[in-house]
Amino acid sequence: MIEFQHVSFSYEKERSVLEDLSFRIGPGESVGLIGANGAGKSTVMKLALGLLSGEGRILADGIEVSRANLADVRRRIGFVLQNSDNQMFMPTVYEDMIFAPLNYGLSREEAEQRVDKALGQLGLQELKYRHNHRISGGEKRMAAIATILAMEPDVILMDEPSSALDPYNRRIVINTIRGLKQTKLIASHDLDMILDTCERVILLDRGRIVADGPADEILRDRELLEAHRMELPFCLAGEAEEKDPGSGL
Amino acid sequence: MHMADALLAPAVAATMYVASGTAAGVSIHKLRKDDEPQKLPTMAVTAALVFAGQMINYTIPGTGSSGHMCGGMLLSALLGPQAGFLSMIVILAIQCLFFADGGLMALGANIWNMAFYGCFVGYYLIWRPIMRSHWFGEGKNAQRSRIIAASIIGCIVTLQLGAFSVVLETTLSGITELPFGAFVALMLPIHLAIGLIEGLITAAVLVFVFDSRPELLRDVADEGQEMPAKRSLKAVIAILAVLALVVGGGLSLLASSNPDGLEWALFGNAEKGYSENMGLDEDDFGVASVTADKAGAIQEKTSFLPDYAFADNDTPVGTTVSGIVGSVMVAGVALLICLAGGFFRKNKKS
Amino acid sequence: MNKMEKALHELGEMDDLTAMDSPIHRLSPLAKLLTAIIYIIVVVSFRKYDLSGLAVMLLFPVILFQISGVPVRTCFYKLRIVLPLVMAVGLFNPLYDRAPLLTLGSLPVSGGVVSMLSLMLKGLLCLMASFLLIATTPIDSLCAALRKLHLPSTLVTLLLLTYRYVGVMTEELAVMTDAYHLRAPGQKGIHVSAWGSFLGQLLLRSMDRAQELYGSMLLRGYHGHFHYAPGRRFGLWDALYTAGSSAVFLLLRFVNAAELLGRLVVR
Repeated sequence: MIEFQHVSFSYEKERSVLEDLSFRIGPGESVGLIGANGAGKSTVMKLALGLLSGEGRILADGIEVSRANLADVRRRIGFVLQNSDNQMFMPTVYEDMIFAPLNYGLSREEAEQRVDKALGQLGLQELKYRHNHRISGGEKRMAAIATILAMEPDVILMDEPSSALDPYNRRIVINTIRGLKQTKLIASHDLDMILDTCERVILLDRGRIVADGPADEILRDRELLEAHRMELPFCLAGEAEEKDPGSGL
Repeated sequence: MHMADALLAPAVAATMYVASGTAAGVSIHKLRKDDEPQKLPTMAVTAALVFAGQMINYTIPGTGSSGHMCGGMLLSALLGPQAGFLSMIVILAIQCLFFADGGLMALGANIWNMAFYGCFVGYYLIWRPIMRSHWFGEGKNAQRSRIIAASIIGCIVTLQLGAFSVVLETTLSGITELPFGAFVALMLPIHLAIGLIEGLITAAVLVFVFDSRPELLRDVADEGQEMPAKRSLKAVIAILAVLALVVGGGLSLLASSNPDGLEWALFGNAEKGYSENMGLDEDDFGVASVTADKAGAIQEKTSFLPDYAFADNDTPVGTTVSGIVGSVMVAGVALLICLAGGFFRKNKKS
Repeated sequence: MNKMEKALHELGEMDDLTAMDSPIHRLSPLAKLLTAIIYIIVVVSFRKYDLSGLAVMLLFPVILFQISGVPVRTCFYKLRIVLPLVMAVGLFNPLYDRAPLLTLGSLPVSGGVVSMLSLMLKGLLCLMASFLLIATTPIDSLCAALRKLHLPSTLVTLLLLTYRYVGVMTEELAVMTDAYHLRAPGQKGIHVSAWGSFLGQLLLRSMDRAQELYGSMLLRGYHGHFHYAPGRRFGLWDALYTAGSSAVFLLLRFVNAAELLGRLVVR
């Protein structure tokens, strides 16, 4: 569960990046965070993880995100970075996966069990001892998700999990996300993927929430999306055109 | 300028390991006092960048050839001398381990020749004093000029020191028959040219960083904010001049009448050459310990062993012929091992 | 293929070699590291005219190559970097040391030639030893071994992280180099007008990358410590391997086996 209460954020001397953000994501919910470039999606994620700190209150699993609780918060939230190379900093997949469990005080045996469990859940056993710079982009993204699963977090944040993947690997990632039972917040421009994986969508524009509701409603609302520099998902664009053949041009 | 293991005697290599190890120890100590966990990722990524960046070919205008970048100056300007030094060590270790550039035993010497001079001498004696000075006046352009000057002077000086050390280490190891003076006369001018080019390339990169994000560079004052010059530039120039005098004076002395001057000075016995410098070096560097004594004893023992074609002067042809025949037989054995290995592997596969 | 792609290829090749399985691969990394160091020290300590004694040392890497199944070809490819400097230094020996040391038939062979050859052989042997070490030992096990030798964690962790990002950075520069040359046909290297920006751009991006990387480490509980896999324990076989081969090296250093072998035939 994640809750933002009147959160604002700005870098020094610059205009505010986020203004008075409030929302609550309940346990087990899957929420898509969408918005044009610079809308503040990454900042929301970094604030939730305590990598940045702003004004207002942020609660993760009921614990306030603050300096004192940082370790407690971070072991409950997993973050899948957009660039898997930045996430996977150890030479092999195995060492990357075991990094967090060991840091959180598990014995090597327990940590190893977690690694195997996470690999098994995603069907990645054969990647275990592979080198990070020798696996494909799709494998890397899946391995990055596996490193986060090995932490057994309650909440998973994802930044563009489907970017730079071929259709086949993108589908694998989408199916994987759908299979995860944790609370999820997914930031992406891939609205088709959001439609497939999230029941709820939060639309950001220039640091403000402009819409928050069921994915099915918001992602079909062409006017709303276009007003905030977005487009209909591709799979819905065709439907809309059939109903209203004139507006496609 | 990477030295190979074969170019060093164990005693020289060990001495260089001790010297480089000490500098590394001091650097780690300093880094731990600062914020080490936060610095490590930056150091690793920058080191990796410099590693890859040294593979870029920069075209030198007006010539057909190309130059490369100097890692030490770049790293210490970005990370500071201690973090830069440690990053350079790691770069050299990876070059040595994975690309066979340098050698395991020569790593200590290579760290000294390339990382120590580049980071510590380059930073404390050149980069910082020049950047904090008032050379070229005030303002952004003056700062740019100071970066260029510091990069070029830094690269030239540190490369000269490095090349000189290569010569010194090789000669002390008794590897080459090339007289010290001739060797120096060969190495230093080449590295003068290389240093100039490397300095220009490094300057170009640093000026680009300065124009985009000046806060990334060490000792670059924000506009209006003055940094106190700790050591006056005059003092630094004096130090550099003395350094140049010592090196240059020593060179001309050696290169003049007696090319074997250094050998005489160091060993007092030019006839024996360097074949027995292992024991002598230990004395020279004051490594007096049980192991050193033992090594000396072993050394002594071996000199009594018939060192064919050297001590065993009576029958040089006979002994060497048996040596050659033996070597051929060894080659035969090696071949047999290869054949056997291939045979077993084939059987395993089928 | 540009230079960076070649480097990446070489790194990949080493990864593949370490993934193989053989009795040598299964030895403790510490045993292999110590043995390689002792071997190199012994090889380098051979006298400059002791060519035949040195030749016997060749047997160790040959045996290791055979047992481990690591191809010699990959190793010889790496010689191209080491040998030039060794040769540059060694080539002067025949010029300065002309005293004939022995005669082969009627052909006098000078001391300089012998010392040059032994220098080159030393270069080859040392390279083979460290190549075999790294071709049979993954970097993470090697780092664990270095920690066991009490190398400071700062340095070992830095080595591990840098090794990982050498792959990433080299790949980025490889792509950038290709992109540059596609727009600058006929140029051999980077033109002077792009000297600063070419690497500078990547450098600025890398600084942001380092921040993100640090964030990613923090999120996974990093607080200054890396845990190294305990790896294989230093067992009886490892001890035997290290002690046995070291003893043989020392013996070969002081007893010229080639000489003895040759005497069986010649006399």
